[in-house]
Amino acid sequence: MKIRALLGCSAATLMLVGGAHAAEKTLTIGVADALTGGAAVYGLPQANSVEMAADEINAAGGIAVGDDTYMLDVIVYDDKANPTEATNAVRKLIDRDGVRYILGFCCSGATGAVASFIEYEDAVMLVGNAAERSITTQGISNLVRTRPPADYTGAAAGAFVAKQGHKRIAVLGALETSFYASYVEAFEEEFKKSGGEVIAHEVFASKDRDMSPQLTKIREMQPDALLVVGYVEPAAFAYRQATELGMDVPRYGFTSGSEEQFLRVASSEQMEGVWDLRPTELTLQSTTDAGLAYHANYSERFGDAPSPSSPYAYDQAWALKHAIEAAGSVEDTEAVAAALRELEVFPEAVMQYLPVEGKMFDQNGQAYTANGAFQWQEGHWVFVEELPSDQEAYSRFLSTVN
Amino acid sequence: MTEILQQIINGIAIGGVYVLIALGLTIVFGILGIAHFAHGSVSMFGGYLTFFLVAQQGYPLILAILVALVVGMVLGVLIELLAYRPVRNANHINAFIVALGLTMMVEGINLQFFGAEQVVIPTDAGRVFSIGGVTLPELRLYVILAAAALILAMTIFVEKTKTGQAIRAVAENRDAAILMGINVQMIPLIVFAISTALGVAAGVMVGSLFAIAPGVGEGLVVKGFAVLILGGLGSIPGAVVGGIVLGVTEALAAGFISSAYKDVIAFVVMIAVLLLRPQGLMGRA
Repeated sequence: MKIRALLGCSAATLMLVGGAHAAEKTLTIGVADALTGGAAVYGLPQANSVEMAADEINAAGGIAVGDDTYMLDVIVYDDKANPTEATNAVRKLIDRDGVRYILGFCCSGATGAVASFIEYEDAVMLVGNAAERSITTQGISNLVRTRPPADYTGAAAGAFVAKQGHKRIAVLGALETSFYASYVEAFEEEFKKSGGEVIAHEVFASKDRDMSPQLTKIREMQPDALLVVGYVEPAAFAYRQATELGMDVPRYGFTSGSEEQFLRVASSEQMEGVWDLRPTELTLQSTTDAGLAYHANYSERFGDAPSPSSPYAYDQAWALKHAIEAAGSVEDTEAVAAALRELEVFPEAVMQYLPVEGKMFDQNGQAYTANGAFQWQEGHWVFVEELPSDQEAYSRFLSTVN
Repeated sequence: MTEILQQIINGIAIGGVYVLIALGLTIVFGILGIAHFAHGSVSMFGGYLTFFLVAQQGYPLILAILVALVVGMVLGVLIELLAYRPVRNANHINAFIVALGLTMMVEGINLQFFGAEQVVIPTDAGRVFSIGGVTLPELRLYVILAAAALILAMTIFVEKTKTGQAIRAVAENRDAAILMGINVQMIPLIVFAISTALGVAAGVMVGSLFAIAPGVGEGLVVKGFAVLILGGLGSIPGAVVGGIVLGVTEALAAGFISSAYKDVIAFVVMIAVLLLRPQGLMGRA
């Protein structure tokens, strides 16, 4: 008993002595993302991945700033992918919780609302899956985004579909959502260069689940192929209902949904042969060791495979850690924002970023990955080939867009 | 021509769901005078329960539907006993407020028990039938047949059975029904049990054809009331005709005008019908 007490006292003394040299502090970061509603298929995995990254950073010793070590604490708010809810969530994080670093942001409408005022705040905003181009064309110095804009991918997709020999394609999608519209616009521009024609632009809303009227109309037009752009769930219904209507044409899409997400709606047989033309994101066949570890850890922790786009948020947390360490401060958000733009691609990154002038983020705060063509084959998304992606050229173009 | 026929088939399937929702609403409104706004949420409860039994407990689909129907009937009886009966003789606004509160409560229960994620009830009905270029997926065929069978059963029950006659008698004249020896305390319980069972059936159809998620029930009940008004308040044939008209109009509007305006166009048709026949398609003048 005496020995145990003596050991206890010694341990306590050692801890106190250690504490006198380097303080262990807590840095609270915030996540604003869609945890419920139609966009939760993107937002919830993003929020999960930030929490997982924070735990991993803490387990690896936290963030070293001078003599101090910061352990991350994460506050997560549901913005429901709604601009008003997102504004409220971020205001709460900044004003009430005193948070300076805000991550997440899966969806463009909500992200755009926050981006409109974030430059006036003493905070840094790291955007994930939201793909609307204008988010990184406004010259907001305290904002960076890990996902490339939709039109960067749309142009590559248009060239790929044209290469398959299709001439008449019908589009069905959430075309009232600007980033899907910009994907289709860029797609169409490239597709037309090869003599192709888009013969239909049919629309569905994110809450729609019955696309059979639009598909019936498209079927009568006898297209060579179908392009579906939208959130996973309505897109999955569109694929399912296309087979139910007996449509036997190649189906292309832009959704970034995982196998599990699609299989909740459509059978593997109904999905067979569908293409997804999107950033390469989390692709098990071609990912790095970091990607494989991410997939395994996420699956074990949350009991569900991560969505392909979820590492955009995981990478935000690691980018933030490296930027804070480079800036040498957690209080000086301007220095941290500047350090983010100077960051090189780090080894923990899950997405395979294509650097611009050696940096992970370009001068607009925009990161790029390669684009890829994935095909559903016997129950799985199979990476077929990389799509042509010139990030340097697109970055120069992005700088000219206001 | 093929396209028109296909759009009509598409519309009949979704119209069948509207009919079931509207039938549940119309018998409650026609007989008890209650605008039962919670009907959509109760319907979603039935769909969620069926999903839970099939996907998580491994029940065969038919057995799960039967269990959900029985649970739905019990839930309907409880709703009448605990929520509406205490305000039956009070001002109509009380029942109105109770209905709104009940909607929020059932939505909350659904969220608590089944979560916020969208769910789709798994079925094995994956075949597609094709006749002359018009395709009919197996699942939609079952939905149409099941809706038709329920409408027929409901009509026979109301028209041909003693209980059905008693329900109609209470709807016509409650005081006269009491004088005739009808147990008017029991009739609302039966009405709510039938109404909720129909709602559960509609929830299962929505859950297998499309998906169940928070908020879906609210949209469904709005469509149900639209059908009610279109067909004629309290009219069972009106609910049937109104549901089919609304479903087919939506499909034709989405196919031939614009999918973006399908709801608007459907409601414009409803308003146009009411301008010509204020009592609805099958309502009494």
